[in-house]
Parts: sequence; C-alpha cells; structure tokens
Amino acid sequence: MARRPSPTDYRSDLWNDWCPGCGNFGIVAAMYQALAEMNADPRMTVVVSGIGCSGKTPHFVKVSGVHTLHGRAIPFATGIKLANPKLNVIVNGGDGDLLGIGAGHFVALGRRNVDLVVIMHDNQVYGLTKGQASPTLPREMQTKALPKPNMQDPVNPVALAISSGYTFVARGYSSKVKHLKDLIKAAIEHRGAAFIDVLQPCVTYNDIFTYDYYDKRVYQLEEAGWNPDVKDESDAVGKASEAYSKAFEWGDRIPIGVFYRNTHVPSFEDRIAARLPNYLKVPPAEETVDRGGIPVMDGAAFRKAFSEYIVDVAKG
Amino acid sequence: MTIRAVDFILGGPQGGGLETSSQVLTWAFARAGYGVISDREYFSNIRGRHSYIHAETSAFELPRALRYPIHLLAAMDAETVFTHFGDLAQGSYLVYNVGEEKSNFAAIPSMEVELRERLRSMFPGIGVDGTLGSLVKYMGSRGVTPVGLDYASILSNAQREAGIVASQVSRYVSAILIGAVAALTGLGEDYVSYGLARRFQRKELYNHNLYIARSVMSQVKSKFGSPLALEKSSIGHGELLVASGNDAVAMAKIVGGLRYQSYYPITPAADESFTLEEYESIHGDGFDSEVVVLQTEDELAAVNSAIGAALSGARSATATSGPGFDLMVEGLGWAGMNEVPVVVTYYQRGGPSTGQPTRGEQSDLLSSVFASHGEYPRIVIASGDHEEAFYDAVDALNYAERYQMPVIHLVDKFLANTIASMPVPDPSKTKIDRGKLTGNVTGNYKRFDMSSPISPRAFLGQAVMWYTGDEHDEVGHITEDSEARIRIYEKRMRKLEIADSEIPEERRATYYGPEDADFLLLGWGFVKGAALSAMSELSAQGLRGAYLHVRVFSPYPSKLVAGILSRFKPDRIIAVEHNYEAQAARLARMNTGVEVERSILKFSGRPIYTDELVRAVKSVLSGSRREVLSYGA
Repeated sequence: MARRPSPTDYRSDLWNDWCPGCGNFGIVAAMYQALAEMNADPRMTVVVSGIGCSGKTPHFVKVSGVHTLHGRAIPFATGIKLANPKLNVIVNGGDGDLLGIGAGHFVALGRRNVDLVVIMHDNQVYGLTKGQASPTLPREMQTKALPKPNMQDPVNPVALAISSGYTFVARGYSSKVKHLKDLIKAAIEHRGAAFIDVLQPCVTYNDIFTYDYYDKRVYQLEEAGWNPDVKDESDAVGKASEAYSKAFEWGDRIPIGVFYRNTHVPSFEDRIAARLPNYLKVPPAEETVDRGGIPVMDGAAFRKAFSEYIVDVAKG
Repeated sequence: MTIRAVDFILGGPQGGGLETSSQVLTWAFARAGYGVISDREYFSNIRGRHSYIHAETSAFELPRALRYPIHLLAAMDAETVFTHFGDLAQGSYLVYNVGEEKSNFAAIPSMEVELRERLRSMFPGIGVDGTLGSLVKYMGSRGVTPVGLDYASILSNAQREAGIVASQVSRYVSAILIGAVAALTGLGEDYVSYGLARRFQRKELYNHNLYIARSVMSQVKSKFGSPLALEKSSIGHGELLVASGNDAVAMAKIVGGLRYQSYYPITPAADESFTLEEYESIHGDGFDSEVVVLQTEDELAAVNSAIGAALSGARSATATSGPGFDLMVEGLGWAGMNEVPVVVTYYQRGGPSTGQPTRGEQSDLLSSVFASHGEYPRIVIASGDHEEAFYDAVDALNYAERYQMPVIHLVDKFLANTIASMPVPDPSKTKIDRGKLTGNVTGNYKRFDMSSPISPRAFLGQAVMWYTGDEHDEVGHITEDSEARIRIYEKRMRKLEIADSEIPEERRATYYGPEDADFLLLGWGFVKGAALSAMSELSAQGLRGAYLHVRVFSPYPSKLVAGILSRFKPDRIIAVEHNYEAQAARLARMNTGVEVERSILKFSGRPIYTDELVRAVKSVLSGSRREVLSYGA
C-alpha cells in the first residue's frame, strides 16, 4: 500500500453476522485501527481463531485468516509462527475456547513465550451454543439462559496468564476501542507471548456483565499510575506477584490496561535460533528442500550425516 | 561344521545392559558382512522386568523375520532361562550363570503370575525341582548344551585385572553375553572390538568391556569350540545401514525435506522424534537442513501445530501411536477439509485403550482409513520393512503436498523397535514433489480455486487467504449454500480419484511368488518378512505359494488386488495379520468384492515367526479356516 492504510482497508467485505450490539464489534474495530496504524502487511499478518462467535473473527479481517477447531487456535498459531517467524500472528478466542477446552494450550504458550498475541473475547458465556456458563462466569451467577445458578468457580484469566509465563498481560474493554487498539499495538510490538483479556458484553445471553455494568466500574491502570514493567530479571517475581494481586481487583472498580510486561525472557523463536543457526534468517517454511525435485541431501551428505548408522563391511 | 544362520536370544532384566550387548553384536556381525535383524521385547517398565532381544544373523541374506526354535540363549539372569528354556532347539546352547543355580523360579518377584503358574504345573511332570540348576540338568538331557559361566568370578577377576571400580562392576554383565555369543558363533575378536569401539567412545569403558569379552571368549572357546560358527558371508554388500525402524523413518524425513516435527511422548513413536532432534541441524555442501522439533503439551497440539506449520509452507509431520492418534483425529479432519499437507507417522501397538504399550499389533488399519467424522480424502501407506519405511516416509511427504491432503504412514512396533541391516539408502533414488505451488500472489487469491480439484497452493505470507473448518467457498470463507456445498465437496473428494489414477497400483501392492502359485497369502506391514520367509520354506517343501503385500490402503489398489484374488480359489486365499478381525481382508472385500475366508492371525503382541507361520499355512491348506498364533514370551 502506497498510501497510509485506513482501518477500513482491513475490513473484509463479508456481512458480519454477530448480534447487533455484540462486544466483538469493538474488538475487530480496535484490530482494524491497530493494523492500520502499524501499516500491517495483510499477507504477513495471520488471524487465527477457534470456534464460536469469536471464531468467525478471521473472516471479518482482510489479512490471512485461519479459523480452526474448538480450543486449538493456540497450537495452530504456534505451528504457523514457528514455521515462519516472520509472520505476525494474532489469536482470537473466546473464554470457553481458550480457558475451557483449550486451557492446556493456553498454559503451554506461556511456558514457551512464543511471539504471539492472544486476544480473548471474554463474555462469561458460550454464545454460539446459546448461553451456557463459561470458565470465567463466577459461582452462583445465573445469566438469563441458565436454568440454574452456576456451580463452578471462575478462573481469573489475567492471573492465569501471569502464572503461566506470558510476558505481556493486559485487560481491555471492547467499548473502549481506542484504549484496546493501543493495547493490541503494544501486544504486537512485544516480543513474546502476549495476552489481552477483553471484557466483551454478550448482549443476548449475559444480562449481568453488561455495558452498563462495566461502564460504571472500569478504570485505566496507566491513569492510576500502575507500572507494569519488569526492570530486570531480579524484579520478575516481585512484579509478577504485584500484578497477580491486581488481577483480582474486581467489583466496584475493574482495572484495564497492561498489568505485566517482561522483556527479559527470551522468546521461543530466540530459543530455537540458539540451536538452529539459520532459523531466523531462513525459516523452515522458506528453506530449500530440493533442487529440481532431487533432495538437497545427496548420497555423500547422507553418509556423512548418518555415519553413526553405517557399517563398512570389513574386507577379506 | 558351519551354519548359514543363527537365531539367538539375549535375555535379562530391563535396564540391565541388554541393549548394549545387542548393539555391539549387531555392529560386529554387520562388520563381518552378515545380515542382522533383532527384535526387542520388553514390558512397560523402566528397570527390572524381563526383557529380551531375539535376533538372527545370516550368512546368505539380509534377514527379514525371526524363527523358533533358537540356536542359542544367553541369559543375564535365572528368569531368562525360566522364561525361554522351551525356545531352544536340539543341539542348541544355553549360556547361563552357574552362580544362580540355586535360584528358584517361585521366588522371582518380577515374573508374570501366569508364567509362574504354568511352570508350577509343568515342572513336577518333567522332574524339575524348581531351581535353575535342576532345569539346566533337564535341558542337558534334552540335547541342549549348557555353557555355565561363573559371572561373579569373571567380573571380580576383571575388576582386579582391568581396574574396574567395584561399584560399577555389575554393569559389565553385558560384556559376558557378548563374549559368549561371539565365541559360540565364531565371530572374530576384531569384530567384537569394532562393535565395542562404536558403542563406547570412552576408552576406559571400551577397555573394560573388551577385557571381559575377551576372557569369556577364550574360556568358552577352549571348552566348547565354536559349534555355531557361521559360514563365510555371501551377501556381498560393501556397507550396511543398521538401524531401528524409528531411526530409518527419521533419516528418511530429513532426506525428504521435513522442516517441522511435533510430538507428544508415546511408546513406540517417541524415539523417532528423539532422532530427529539429534539431527535437527545438518549443514552440508550448499545446503542446510534445520528441523524444528517441538515436544507439545498433548497430541492435540502436536497435530494442530504440524498443520499450522504446513500452512506456512514447511514440510511438516508428527509421530504417534494409537492413543495419541485418537486425539489427533479431530485435527486430521480439519486438515482434510482444508486440503493441508501434513503427515502422521502412526506407530501401531497393542490396543484397544492403552492395551499393550510396548508390544506390537496391526489393529489400527480401519481406524486410520476411516478416522474422523464426515468424509474427506486421505492417503494411508503401510510399510512392511525398514527399507520400505524409508522410501514410504519420503513418499508420504510428497503425496501430502502433491494431493494436498493428510497422509497417514502406518508402521508398527515390530518395525519401530527392530534393528535391521539394509542397503544404505540412496537419496538420489528419491524425489521431492512439492505439488502445485503458486509462490507470491499479487491481487486476489483463491486458495480453493475450483477450476481443478487440486488448487495452486500459496503459503501463508505469500498471499491473503482464509481457512475454516466449516464448509467454505473458493476463497476459504464459510458458506452454507447448498449448491456451493456440493461443488466444493466434490472438488475435495475428487483429489483421491486423481491420486488413484496417478499412483501406480504396483506401487500400492506387490505380488511375490510364481504366477501360477497354488495359494496366496494376503498381508501387510511387518507380516511381509515372515510371509516371504515362510513362502520360501514352504516352496522348499513343494508347496508353491505367493504373497500379496498391500502397501497403500487409500487410495486402494482395487483392480490389481481384485485381479490377483480372482486367480485363486476362495479356500486358497489366506489373510495373515496382527489383529483379531483380519482388517486388511475386510478392506479387500470392501474394495474388490472378494471375501477372504481364511486367516492366520496373531494378537499376542509378539511378532509372527517363520516356523509358526509355516505350520499354520499347512493347517489352513488342509482345511482350517482360522489359525490364531501365540508363540513367543
């Protein structure tokens, strides 16, 4: 693009079939704006999703999109990114997708610190299957589709991300699009696993955590003087535990913004590069494997590489 | 006198050094020009339970199957003798520890309860009082020559003479077995030294082992000579590749341009990924081979990250076994729907559930061919031996990209854990076929362009494109339109017809034997070795049979198989498989309409041995409809 792109350049021409008023609209709007401001190359940008309302996100963004299986967006994204670390890969998943069926992958991503961005559409319910309780719905809450109050305790996404090893952990609110846009940009710029928990009202099934509910309570961490940054490695545990406590602030005041950012942990790509010298220059997806249909490894190279398996039969 | 081939068993506690004995002997025999094959049988256990290695070394062929009874049993412990004494032939040799003669089978805690009960009811009838000494005496009366060695004094001598630290000395029992087997089979000391040098890079360990092996060799030779001496090898290979099936597949994947392998630890697949990790970075004359090997959090992540890597353009695979494959099935369906080239190397083991984790079986064929809900095309290849596994692994990567669909490469535990000698593979005999690629696309790109069943493929990064597990249009966006559904469904499924028309049927099934054979064995996978060995044995007895080896099950070589089956009377066609249901025979019926009514099956977890297959074929030819084989400890 010669001219500076505008957010609408990143909007696909598909009709968006989310419910009118859905919190997801704020999330895609923030994504369009972030991508435009960063002048993102649509070919080098990949949005990966799981299943559910949030799963449709890739179809609404005019960059490459991979709409995968329930709970599996993170493993797909991990493979995409590790095979070509030059790609900018953004995961969009629901709270059920990422923290219910996909919880193991969510934790594993933190341990690896792969340079991905995970945007969680957090509305406390399973929308596309009509309103069941998700892993972020508090106990005893009874949203309108539930026949009985919820019996399970909620997981705290921000706290879980911090303890899983994510090196950028934030919370946004889909109604504060500009703020969310800045979080998404910061997450993309961060080298390592970035997580944004986005409070995203489900106007159809969640009659508790509504726009009205959040509008009255949400405040911005940066305005409250919160410093999310880890100074050096010795500061990591201290900062993480402060941020962890902050993650449980919920009720009259709900913080949004960056809770925790640690730039001192090597990304997974850097860890691979320490073992595979060409990895970042010529990633697996770009390596030459043949010359005119013949493997690049010829007989002599095979013998040399695998000499440990070859026995020269003794003469005589 | 010399002999053409020796079958022997090395037995002992898991973790006691058996693998070392086997490796050293395998390399030593190969160095001397002999063909070798060795199957490892073990419990799902790390240390202490009975494990054994059954091997054959041959002067006239690269052996492909094992047989009973054996010529030689070398036992690390008494349990080995109690477990395998029935495997020894007349005129065979038993190497055992005279220091254990008093040990009684009833007091061996690691022994399976069922085996102990069998021995308890058998021993009184044959006059064995339950001790090793009395069993050895009995075996002596049955034509087995006991080669009793005092392990403790051999080791304490070596400790004194070779300066081994006392606390380490028990680790050298493996060298006693090496020395005894080498002496009895007439293997020269140079070869033993070669095998030890390959195994032990540390000079000190090499020296200690060589000292013990040598002293055992001279002790055994002076008393027994070399009664099992092999004739001079007539095989004529100047060099041999000696590898397990896991390793052969790993090497092939590297030759085939694999760039991403994910896995979750599972027996017997994990060794393949270990080998890949060991060779993750190879740099040669003008080429670089760097493989990202990722140990994932589970099999779901393994298959799905491999699919992701394939979307980015890397040749990509994962390796697993039954329980892991079950978890991958959902991802496989996604790959089918989205026409993703991804390879799953599927090491079959005993099922269902976790079944027999360390034992072999071929009961996942139907599960591979039909895995996942809905309909989607996939290629299923099954390898019969190490050489096939090598070339099939390269083809699996090629087919995946050429036809843009998942490929399941079936191997089994028998192949995975069997070490065999084979001609050194020649990469120039292989091809890399990356299929229809477009490279960078300017303007609009349709990933699922409908103008032909196989659409030109761009990697993520080369164009803007969409994928979804829902039904999609040409661009990759969701559609529920009924007519679009039919068009894209047909486009997808037609790719299998193209594969069917392009991959020669001769590549997919092979007929071995005379055209006018009197009967036919129908088999697949690791059955191949035993079937071919049994056929040549039967033919020497005047029974002229053939073997039809099916190597690709999807797309099925229907015409070729139907043509061959139709040449035989129904009661002259025998399915030979490692499962209960004769799964390959069911697929043959489904694809050819010919019902295979007779079967020889083995699902005990142990491989089919040549001799038991020969006997079973005779039974079927004389009227039996179904033989279930059971030999092997």
